[in-house]
Amino acid sequence: MKLYKYVLSGLLVLNLTACDKELDLQPAQSISEELALSTDANVKSVLLGAYDALAQDGLFGGNTLRDAELLGADGELRWVGTFEGPRDVFNHSMIAGNYEAENMWVDAYETINICNNVLEAIEVVNEEDRDQVRGEALFIRGMAYFQLARFYGQVYEAGGGNTQPGVPIVVRPTRGIDESSQVSRNSVEECYTQILNDLNEAKSLLPDENGVQAGKFTAAALLARVYLQMGRYAEARDNANEVINSGLFSLLPNYADIWNNDDNTSEDIYAVQISSQDFGEATMTVFFSVPAFGGRDGDIEIEQKHLDLYDPSDERLALFFEANGGIMYSGKWREQYRNMPIIRLAEMYLIRAECNARLGTSTGASVDDDYNAVHTRAGLTSKTGVTLDDILLERRLELAHEGHRIHDIKRLKGSADGLPYDDNQLLYPIPAREIEANKNLQQNPGY
Amino acid sequence: MKQQLLTLLLVLFVVGGALAQRTVSGRVTEQAGGEPLIGATVIVKGANTGTTTDVDGRYSIRVNNDNDVLVVKYTGFRGQEITVGNRSTVDIILEQNDELIDEVVVIGYGKQIKSTLTGNIAKVGGENVKAMPVVSVEQALQGQAAGVYVESANGKVGGAMRVRVRGVGSINAGTEPLYVVDGIPLSKDAQNTSGAPMNPLADLNFNDIESIEVLKDASAKAIYGARGSNGVVIITTKSGRSGKSRVELDLQMGTTQPTGRREFLNAAEYIELFTEAANNSDDIEGVPYDDPNSWTTFVQGRFRRYDGHTNWEERIDQTDWQEEALRTGRIRNATLSFSGGNDKVRYFASGNIGLNEGVLVSNELEKNGGRLNLDFDATKRLKVGVGLSLARTFTRQVSNDNAFSTPLQLIALAPITPKRDEDGVLYDRPVTTYYNGLIDMEDGQRKVHSLRTLANIFGDYKITDNLGLRVEGAANLYNVRDDAKFGERTDNGNDSRGYGYSAFANATDYNANAVLHWDRAFDNHDLGFDLGSELFTSENTYTLVEGEQFPSDEFKTLASAASITAGTSTITNYSFLSYFGRARYNFARKYLLNLSARVDGSSRFGQDKRYAFFPAASAGWVLSEEGFLKDNSLLSFLKLRASWGISGNADIGNFQSLGLYGSGNYNGVSTLSPDQIPNPALTWEKSTELDFGIDFGLFNNRLSGEIDYYVKNTTDLLLNVPVPATSGFTNQFQNVGELRNKGVELVLNSNNFTGKFSWTTSLNLAYNKNEVISLAGGQTIIDDGSNMNVVKVGEPIGAFFGAEYAGVDPDNGDALWYVNAMDDNGNIIDPTATTNNFSDANFVILGSPLPNVIYGLDNTLSYGGLTLNVRFQGQTGNQVHNGGGLFMSCNACWFDNQTRDQLERWQNPGDVTDVPEARLGYSNGDQTRSSRYLSEGSYLRLKNVTLAYDLPSSWFAKAGVRDLRLYVTGTNLLTFTKYDGWDPEVTTDYLASNIIYGVDFYSAPQPKNIVFGLRVGF
Repeated sequence: MKLYKYVLSGLLVLNLTACDKELDLQPAQSISEELALSTDANVKSVLLGAYDALAQDGLFGGNTLRDAELLGADGELRWVGTFEGPRDVFNHSMIAGNYEAENMWVDAYETINICNNVLEAIEVVNEEDRDQVRGEALFIRGMAYFQLARFYGQVYEAGGGNTQPGVPIVVRPTRGIDESSQVSRNSVEECYTQILNDLNEAKSLLPDENGVQAGKFTAAALLARVYLQMGRYAEARDNANEVINSGLFSLLPNYADIWNNDDNTSEDIYAVQISSQDFGEATMTVFFSVPAFGGRDGDIEIEQKHLDLYDPSDERLALFFEANGGIMYSGKWREQYRNMPIIRLAEMYLIRAECNARLGTSTGASVDDDYNAVHTRAGLTSKTGVTLDDILLERRLELAHEGHRIHDIKRLKGSADGLPYDDNQLLYPIPAREIEANKNLQQNPGY
Repeated sequence: MKQQLLTLLLVLFVVGGALAQRTVSGRVTEQAGGEPLIGATVIVKGANTGTTTDVDGRYSIRVNNDNDVLVVKYTGFRGQEITVGNRSTVDIILEQNDELIDEVVVIGYGKQIKSTLTGNIAKVGGENVKAMPVVSVEQALQGQAAGVYVESANGKVGGAMRVRVRGVGSINAGTEPLYVVDGIPLSKDAQNTSGAPMNPLADLNFNDIESIEVLKDASAKAIYGARGSNGVVIITTKSGRSGKSRVELDLQMGTTQPTGRREFLNAAEYIELFTEAANNSDDIEGVPYDDPNSWTTFVQGRFRRYDGHTNWEERIDQTDWQEEALRTGRIRNATLSFSGGNDKVRYFASGNIGLNEGVLVSNELEKNGGRLNLDFDATKRLKVGVGLSLARTFTRQVSNDNAFSTPLQLIALAPITPKRDEDGVLYDRPVTTYYNGLIDMEDGQRKVHSLRTLANIFGDYKITDNLGLRVEGAANLYNVRDDAKFGERTDNGNDSRGYGYSAFANATDYNANAVLHWDRAFDNHDLGFDLGSELFTSENTYTLVEGEQFPSDEFKTLASAASITAGTSTITNYSFLSYFGRARYNFARKYLLNLSARVDGSSRFGQDKRYAFFPAASAGWVLSEEGFLKDNSLLSFLKLRASWGISGNADIGNFQSLGLYGSGNYNGVSTLSPDQIPNPALTWEKSTELDFGIDFGLFNNRLSGEIDYYVKNTTDLLLNVPVPATSGFTNQFQNVGELRNKGVELVLNSNNFTGKFSWTTSLNLAYNKNEVISLAGGQTIIDDGSNMNVVKVGEPIGAFFGAEYAGVDPDNGDALWYVNAMDDNGNIIDPTATTNNFSDANFVILGSPLPNVIYGLDNTLSYGGLTLNVRFQGQTGNQVHNGGGLFMSCNACWFDNQTRDQLERWQNPGDVTDVPEARLGYSNGDQTRSSRYLSEGSYLRLKNVTLAYDLPSSWFAKAGVRDLRLYVTGTNLLTFTKYDGWDPEVTTDYLASNIIYGVDFYSAPQPKNIVFGLRVGF
């Protein structure tokens, strides 16, 4: 029997040492939700997570800019890459399962949820920083909703009731998945109301200056852009005016200097921060540049039709570069690992000029002066008696390939590749995966 | 729990009365010639104890008393029953016959005599995989076990293999069986540092394998609890046997080449088709061909660009790009083994070196390793053993199938493009259409070194004659180093003056178990219990450094990189803590009963559902032992079996139940963001399986076989459920949904001829029907939006879902699809309605990537010293999707070289064809989710042929040589299929998942290997 005792104690030892604690393992690369939202420092890290999310490829990492250009290409550029998603965007043959449409949607709502988490945990933030953190979260959320509203929501009709479907508005953080996750689309009007509320509140809370993050005038600049899209020219003008008058920003003397920088320039109001250590999902170089500079395969070629719009002495024309035997590419996104300008001062001058021209006012400066500020910087001679058409053309050249094209076509009720501005194919589909996962979502027409 | 365990243990001790036992030994020889029979089974009748004879035919076994009867069996010989009497030496002479039924098989945590099994276990003997000139043991298994589906994803050496036992058992959790090598559960982690998966079993030398047992039904695998649901593959390596030492040397040398090729356009055809495509596009736009903005001008510009220093107008074939990607490679293998022992110590030692070049240029695998298995009798009651194996593999990898640099993507380049310029430098873009992957071969390298150490130690202590304790400890240490460097001209390195990375992954698994065995036979009763506990822990680490800006291409390591661009390290781990028990009983080997249960806890599950209970029960009735069938001349063996049990699947990622925030960085500052929603109720998947089987032997077992019917329901699927992305998340792991596999398996073994000329045939055939019963509440489909494989309720997992191609409109050359509009009941309203607008075509189920029937047929003929083995293997009922079709077979929609069948394009009104009109830059039928790119994937393959000649031993006996065999072996020699791609056995590596099967995307064809071999025994 003595032997049995040994054996028994042996087995017991095995079982006792191997007790439940062996099953209590914690991950090394993540922390719990409770911990992440429990301290001032952590909530501020989550806010930075929202900036990071905003820089994903589906948003301002690049694709939201790229696709605005592809949708409105109108023979001025050509997609020659092999990727099916952007090809279908370019060819106006998107299907509901289009990956680009899915990616932007997913990235935008991920960003929004992070902002909602920050806003929910705002009481944890030190009181003196609370307004700023709240303002930044609202700014990022407004910016994400603005992209969603423009790509997935039916066209905003200035002065209309705008009851047509926009996108679902979610303003609470997700803590679990249940019936309440099955949200419906809000109207376009409700979307723009939300965007304006977020940005106006952000503007009132943010400090004047905030490094490369959003400050008061970043919010104002975005508001100018939103009001312009809505055709509310006076408010667009006034916000642009505030930005210009802040004195915090100035136009660079050389157009080419705006691009391919490691740091923000004095012209940048908001830029996505990229470095070789942290290039996240930056994709503009990938698609607009060529392999020698880190591009994919020269997927987007600039066509003669676009180049013909420039005066031969226009310095902006000189920025295009030639590769692959005579093919022209945009120089704005040539180098990899460089900051990506998203909102810059030249746009504010053009907004103020356009609104003043439309309203017959000269708030801040005359139409001619604002126009010429941008026009002469490109090495061209100044002009008098500037018309609205002059401004719109200047805008098209100055802001080419920066993600404005299709939105301008829509707001100006133009056309792209023979399709009218409100054609179904100029609107993203609600992603097929989203329709599957959420029975309350209504698909856009034509998909 | 522990108290119950103790109580049970005590009960066992009380029951386990010690009886006087003694040892009987002897020698088993063949009647004709008196040669020893190696590996003959010797068992004590009525007991479950058994042994096998050594290389000299010797055995030794314990008996209880003089009345005990020894039952001696050997495949191909007539069994004998001998009463021991008072002898201590019992020599036995067997006559040749055709016994195929009785053998010992390995079960979880033990062994059992096959005729008393109540579960379904497929055994493949080491001889059946030995010397096969393939890289991995799974490849050798293909077609050898009923219901075991083996797919080698493509022809890259060292690439991943997929093994599915009785169908695909999960949607988002693991679907690979559990591999247990010499009692050690082998985790499949840390195999993969780059995009192309590596195979964890590639480093196993299968000349060392004694046997492979695949546990298929619930009663066999429930002892492995939460890890058993996908089946268990137990690999047992050879151990030494007492007797004369034996040395064996096996040498192989041969070649490998692709099983198939595709046909592509030559230069003249390329120019013709693309010029026509450009003309057609101009016609659509009403632009004159000679307009500077016309497609025709554009295409000529492209021809001028693509022809480099040559002149395209001469229409000369410059390069056959397919031939640049494929090659005939070499195979070299050598194994040397020693085995033997005395009555106290037994050993088996082996070493191997091998080289397998792949069918793709610059893809190769070298492996070498060694093994030592040692066991000895420390005392009369204590047996101790160690097993140690070291294996090193070196793989020269190529990029995954989705990279421009992968060799087979070369076929996209134009035939008018020369490979090199006049200075002998490889052309790149803009002369080549896309990146020239050959630059990677010249100026890039990706070397993966792996080192695996498997060590186990065990002690087997006989506490009494009936009661034993076996304690095992094991470690599996796996290190992978993945070093890559791409020079300035490569796709990866051309924007940064060279790019390199160095990754290091490590997996460390520890396993410890203790099992108490008790068994006793008296009168006609035979009773046994096992009781055990087990602890398994696994930790994986990963480290990566990336760098750019090298002084020149000659510098290969990151020490020379001027810029270190990325670096990371991660750790993850999981554990299992388990208790299990088993009871078995048989009465006169006629009525059989088996019960087992396991309790598993795992770190992977939510706090609320941490432990799981997995019971199983099975019973058998050997009818042929009944009076009314005994001595039946026709029916020599007949057994009915039934089993039921529950097993689990815990193979999801670690920490999936927790609500988590992950870190990132923005503008050089670290960030936090949510990456997982919590689910504290997350738990294992549960498979409930029912199996009915018949084992039979006819004509004195010359013909024997098994028939099984099974139904396996998997519930509480660990489903990565898509949630509305408006929540900020796209997916959450939930336990919802149900999947069913049911099927029939048939195994037939026949000794057609015996004697001087012998011929045996074995056939295995399995039918499996996989069906998704339900998904998350209300969800009917999982569709990733881009790939054609979906999970749809009522269909098999991975079914192809897309538009049904209707050919070409004879009037205008437009591609057509069936509209397939459905009414509210899901019936198609008008099956003939077609559309030329892809968006108007409703998606329908177009087929399944998984076969419903898999089979293998093996014939062995021998005459004198000559042996011929011929094995066929095949599958039917599946489809293959050519995922590259939208580029290579799109009627010249863009500049990729086209498959030759595109010449059948529509040209004039009235043409009847399946290939639409060629239109450059236009989409005319090139949508990938269309049955246009699906083909029948059934195939029948001449999997293996071996012709061997054993030279008469009298010729060289004086030289100390015992036997000498010369052989030639070929694998994948012939493939019969309707698939017109490279090879129908394919799943592209960059997509392979539980859902995606049967997709070809520039995937390397399977290798056809032929080797000559020499085996010498001393």
